[in-house]
Amino acid sequence: MLIQLLTNKYPGMRLWLSQRLSAIVMAIYIVLVVMLLIIFRPANFNAWHALMSPIWFRLVTFVFFVSLFIHAWLGVKDVFEDYIFNLKLRAYLQIIVDVLLVVYLIWSSFILWNI
Amino acid sequence: MQKNSQKNKNRPKNLNLFTIRLPINALVSILHRASGMALFAMLPLILLAFQYSARSQQSYTKLVALFDTWFIKLMLVGLAWAFSHHFFAGLRHLLQDSHWMASLQKTRLSSRVVLWLVGISVAIFSFVVW
Repeated sequence: MLIQLLTNKYPGMRLWLSQRLSAIVMAIYIVLVVMLLIIFRPANFNAWHALMSPIWFRLVTFVFFVSLFIHAWLGVKDVFEDYIFNLKLRAYLQIIVDVLLVVYLIWSSFILWNI
Repeated sequence: MQKNSQKNKNRPKNLNLFTIRLPINALVSILHRASGMALFAMLPLILLAFQYSARSQQSYTKLVALFDTWFIKLMLVGLAWAFSHHFFAGLRHLLQDSHWMASLQKTRLSSRVVLWLVGISVAIFSFVVW
């Protein structure tokens, strides 16, 4: 059933599911980070740095960023489709957003790599 | 399509937003959208702040000093509002996707719960920041 829905016959279904799955990934990550902040209460640079430097935390944060940018891409696309009726303008704006999100992905990988 | 819209030009219209009372579900829904766009617009600043906090002792100290100004604190509270609204309203949408609390009465209740949770989170955040 699910496999059938995700085949090429229903491309919208894949977008719909990606939006939900990325939302769930982000929600779990946010709860994790809020709990870490409440437990460890990092009050200076060293504590903050120590909290973020383990490789597992950086990997999980990377997964969060990827989900965030997928989610943002889908959300902004939906908003453009609803409110911008000039197709040319919409396409140009969408390209700007796409480029921005790719830049953000590279930038956030760079930040995480350098912690 | 063209013909239809021509024919229906004389239909009465009311686009005066001040005379339309938004139902609570519509309010939570449109704010979910607005907060999502706000979060997207703020992404570069969020990433920049994250970079400054993680790079070095010096950049961290700079960021902390910047966060100590009331204007930036106000912006942070705004960001906290956008985030918590998007978070709680989004969870509500996920629950509705799985048909949980889907009747009209119940969605009104869950909308009220979302607005309360957002208010409480923003209050706690503001208290911690100040």
